[in-house]
Amino acid sequence: MIDNLNEIALDELKNSISNMNYRKYRLVTMSCVDNKDGSFDLFYHFDKESKLVTVKTKVTKEDEIPSITDLYFCAFLVENEIKELFGLNIVDIAIDYGGKMYLTADSSEAPMTYGANITIERRDIGYDK
Amino acid sequence: MINSEQVPRSTVPFGPQHPVLPEPIHIKLILEDEKIVEAIPAIGYVHRGLEKLTEKKDMYKSIFILERICGICSFMHALCYCQGLENLMEIDVPERAKYLRVIWGELHRTHSHLLWLGLFADAFGFESLFYECWKIREKILDIMEATSGARVIISTNTIGGTRRDINSDMLEHIKKTTYEIEEALAYIDKVFFDDNTVLVRTKGVGVLSKKDAYLLGAVGPTGRGSGLPQDLRTTNYAAYGDLDFEPIYETDGDCYARCKVRIRELYQSQKLLRQAIDQMPEGEYAVKVTQKPEGEVVSRVEQPRGECMYYIRGNGTDILERVRVRTPTFANIPALVHMLPGHQLCDLPVLVLSIDPCISCTER
Repeated sequence: MIDNLNEIALDELKNSISNMNYRKYRLVTMSCVDNKDGSFDLFYHFDKESKLVTVKTKVTKEDEIPSITDLYFCAFLVENEIKELFGLNIVDIAIDYGGKMYLTADSSEAPMTYGANITIERRDIGYDK
Repeated sequence: MINSEQVPRSTVPFGPQHPVLPEPIHIKLILEDEKIVEAIPAIGYVHRGLEKLTEKKDMYKSIFILERICGICSFMHALCYCQGLENLMEIDVPERAKYLRVIWGELHRTHSHLLWLGLFADAFGFESLFYECWKIREKILDIMEATSGARVIISTNTIGGTRRDINSDMLEHIKKTTYEIEEALAYIDKVFFDDNTVLVRTKGVGVLSKKDAYLLGAVGPTGRGSGLPQDLRTTNYAAYGDLDFEPIYETDGDCYARCKVRIRELYQSQKLLRQAIDQMPEGEYAVKVTQKPEGEVVSRVEQPRGECMYYIRGNGTDILERVRVRTPTFANIPALVHMLPGHQLCDLPVLVLSIDPCISCTER
């Protein structure tokens, strides 16, 4: 139920984003969702005069996903975030943190993916003792 | 004469712990003498994985998790999330709940902007002004405590409406308080607009052109200070469609313009509060929700710092498959990085504060 949703193939991605840039759309952000079947939905959300337009493409971890930071520099943070938390192979990001924007050396890999080894536990912080 | 190629460059880390920063962000600064020539931001000091946590809890418990993304705009996070799910499940929210959302939303905007004004004053060393701003903010916190039982994270939103109502005596009290706030603001806005100390530190500092602000995706007062009249309240969510509202913007694009936008928005919020109180209909403030969310939706609201966006995907159960949050500071960091080069190191605290950074929001 996303309004103005355009689904495209990965090889059309750069052209499609160039087209949005040419038409003076502002990049709102990108979203990534694990489909739990080895594929991921990648959304590029754009805005013009408060009207939201979304470009969607389907990718896998093996795909080489071109960065859009040459067209929208402001995408560098969200591209690093997706690369790190979902383990996607986004290449040529203008500022690439090398997988260490949020995560540390001892963090589990791609923690936002389905089945990632994440344990949520309640810890006794000892304030009541 | 020394040309720029002969000036040695040095690297100075700004943050993650710094007296001007309420929250940790690190900016790697490359300096030529005292002049900033390059800035590279680094975040990740307070990443809590709250998006992941929403995949483990039911959609009602997730409201309380998402409110804790940020204390200052907690109500707006819950509003954006609840509105998204209501759209997905095609729930008609009662009219009174829409007005209550505007009232609590504008109260949040007022206390957020006053908090920022105080911190901004503190950033250029004007401590008495800091106290004056926070003194006014106390009135809002008292109202939030009286209407919800909590002073900051008020937890009044739910899917299908609000969890509480506000009675007529309290509405009258809020209305009276809006006049008191305007009076108090008139006393301090002269200092922000005309005082030489403030002008020297803010006028012409951190200029962001309209074109750059748009290309870099700046939102909220950061974008509106550069002449972009973008404000999602014009999309008429909640009850904004019934209220007289025009986005406020300035064209200079400097720290002073961003400050001016926020002060003018404070006055505007008081007017919106009075309009909402006068026009609010009687009736129910929540409906029972029996549906389960299936499909995907994007929801957006205008937080004090700018546009907030939620992407939500449901699978027909109580537990959502994905909640993705894009907060305004996340969108404003590229603009901040762009405006730093060319400025003196001493301007950095004012420049960083001018985008009203919220790192808890940014990292989630």
